[in-house]
Amino acid sequence: MLNRDLHIRYFKRCLEMLPAAMQSLDATRMMLVQLSLVGLAALGAIDEALTSNDRHGIIEWIYAQQVPANADNSNAKYRGFRGSSMFGPHDQIEYMPANCGNLAATYSALSALVLLGDSLERVDKKAIIGVMRELQQESGCFSPHPHTTERDPRFIYCACAVSEILGDWSGVDKQAAVAYIQSCMCYDGGLTQVPFQESHGGHVYCCVASLALMGRLDAIPTDRVLRWALYRQNDGYNGRVNKDPDACYAFWVGAAVEMLGGHELIDSDGTFGFLMTCQSKFGGVGKTPGDYPDPLHSALGLVGYSFCRPEQLQVMSPALLLPLPLMEARGIGASL
Amino acid sequence: MVQVAESEDVTCLPMSQQDEWKDVVPLAQEETASPVCPIAYAEDYKEMMDYLRALMAKGEISQRALKLTSLVIEENPGHYTVWVYRKKLVRELQVNMEDELSWVADLSAMQPKNYQLWHHREAVVEMLLDPASIQGMSQDDRVAIPVLRRELGFLAESLDEESKNFHAWAYRQWLVRTYGLWDQELAFVAVKIDEDIRNNSAWNQRYFSLVAGGSSLSADVVERELAYTLEKIKLAPNNESPWSFIVGLLLRHAPEKLYESLLPQIKALAADEEYLTAISGTPFYWATLVDIYEQQAKDVPEKQKEAIELASSACDVLATECDLPRQKYWQFRQTQL
Repeated sequence: MLNRDLHIRYFKRCLEMLPAAMQSLDATRMMLVQLSLVGLAALGAIDEALTSNDRHGIIEWIYAQQVPANADNSNAKYRGFRGSSMFGPHDQIEYMPANCGNLAATYSALSALVLLGDSLERVDKKAIIGVMRELQQESGCFSPHPHTTERDPRFIYCACAVSEILGDWSGVDKQAAVAYIQSCMCYDGGLTQVPFQESHGGHVYCCVASLALMGRLDAIPTDRVLRWALYRQNDGYNGRVNKDPDACYAFWVGAAVEMLGGHELIDSDGTFGFLMTCQSKFGGVGKTPGDYPDPLHSALGLVGYSFCRPEQLQVMSPALLLPLPLMEARGIGASL
Repeated sequence: MVQVAESEDVTCLPMSQQDEWKDVVPLAQEETASPVCPIAYAEDYKEMMDYLRALMAKGEISQRALKLTSLVIEENPGHYTVWVYRKKLVRELQVNMEDELSWVADLSAMQPKNYQLWHHREAVVEMLLDPASIQGMSQDDRVAIPVLRRELGFLAESLDEESKNFHAWAYRQWLVRTYGLWDQELAFVAVKIDEDIRNNSAWNQRYFSLVAGGSSLSADVVERELAYTLEKIKLAPNNESPWSFIVGLLLRHAPEKLYESLLPQIKALAADEEYLTAISGTPFYWATLVDIYEQQAKDVPEKQKEAIELASSACDVLATECDLPRQKYWQFRQTQL
């Protein structure tokens, strides 16, 4: 059985304090905030678990990570949301790349704000759209920030999700993004991060969800991708061929299957059984049976669970990781 | 209070008590009234971050800054702006690049899941060797260049350590593509497949090295790959990698060979007493038959009816005997034929 109360307590604990062992994720606290809220949202427990004061406090922390314009606006390409307060006080950093927004953090921040019922009025939309234009490469792919050679479908996905949440797609050249995703098709029917690399469940998710958000699932051979995704299941889902199952792929691959219209085709008892064995007795979900829980596997494991036992949890959008009723109320993802 | 023994190395002292740092005013992390997902930082981490913030705020270029970025990155490799700062330090201090590569190598052993360090490695290698400078050089001369020899050696070690390391393979592709090291790659891949026939990363690299940045394969190569793959299927029939490799390769480069060449060969295998049980028991054999017959039905009008019937009966076997977890999928596929 899914122990709802224990999971709610787990995500509340994450929002309140994380152990020193998570220092290595210090720069991506925004993602941990988002995931903890996604977990609570999947359990339908945001209002129950968080007082309006709690929600207010979280919203203020998120907005405190929005990089403000400096006096002469010379930091335009470093704006958006940063991943953490770890970078330091905005007004004391002269070396500009040190205090820099990150497309992944911007996505997490907007998702978290929507989950908390914030109106997004204080989001500097124009700045974010401007940054996204800077971050899209000639190949169509996106970088997370201006000074890196990192670029792959994770950031295409972030750009699409941000555009959908803001209701403004003018920061994305869709045609170029679609062409990049097409170039990531592998011979085996999966998709990857850079053309010719190995198919990977995480990148399959990012590519398929980006196309779904852009209304361009027709751009890839969906029947082959669906087959690749369904072959990842052996009770739980793995993320690559001949690898062991891992709870987070119940979301990455499971959500891709949902978007590709394969909901009726999955072995839902298999997913359910595997995720039950990954549940921690202290709440939360671990990567594999016996692992300690962490916010990523907990939130994504539960959303994966919601796909196979939708009657027990909130119905979450596979493309946007938000509850469908909330999206409907906010007019997000109307074209999905 | 913990007493620090006199004999203890000075670097064990808190930074605030070290002479090297006494001119720096640490810059504390600023939090809102109710921080979210705060981390219970270890004292030494908190202090090194306070000092790093102070240096990065000004963009200080110094040896001590370089040393401090090492310490921070080892604890927190996801700190995306410290990498930007470090790259600037490496350039402006004219750091010994070999030392820098050794440091990144140690780091990748500690942090196998981190993306940033591999991009840093690329940047350092590009600073050491401009790809344009070796244009026109022969393959043998290229792999003899110390930087490239070292990188190939480092990658061989990394992949010995963890043969499916996604980042290491990605970096290897970058290296091979950027410096045109195509000729040596297939031999390396063959060894990795022999070491672990189920290593899908190695199978994928095989395809990468065959296509070599282009998009076509000669008929000879296609034939050779067919023969190679069949030998590997014989060794371990219930292995998804070679099946999806050969079907995917043929679909892209010679779809007619699916039914003209692969089909008779795997059917012969399934009729061979030595392999019969293993081949007819693996879902990959039957799934491959579905793919082959579907292609044949599409390409050869006079065979269409027969091919669809054969594909349909392969779906039956999958749905009722060989691939029960995907029963609903194969029933669905059958309706799509």
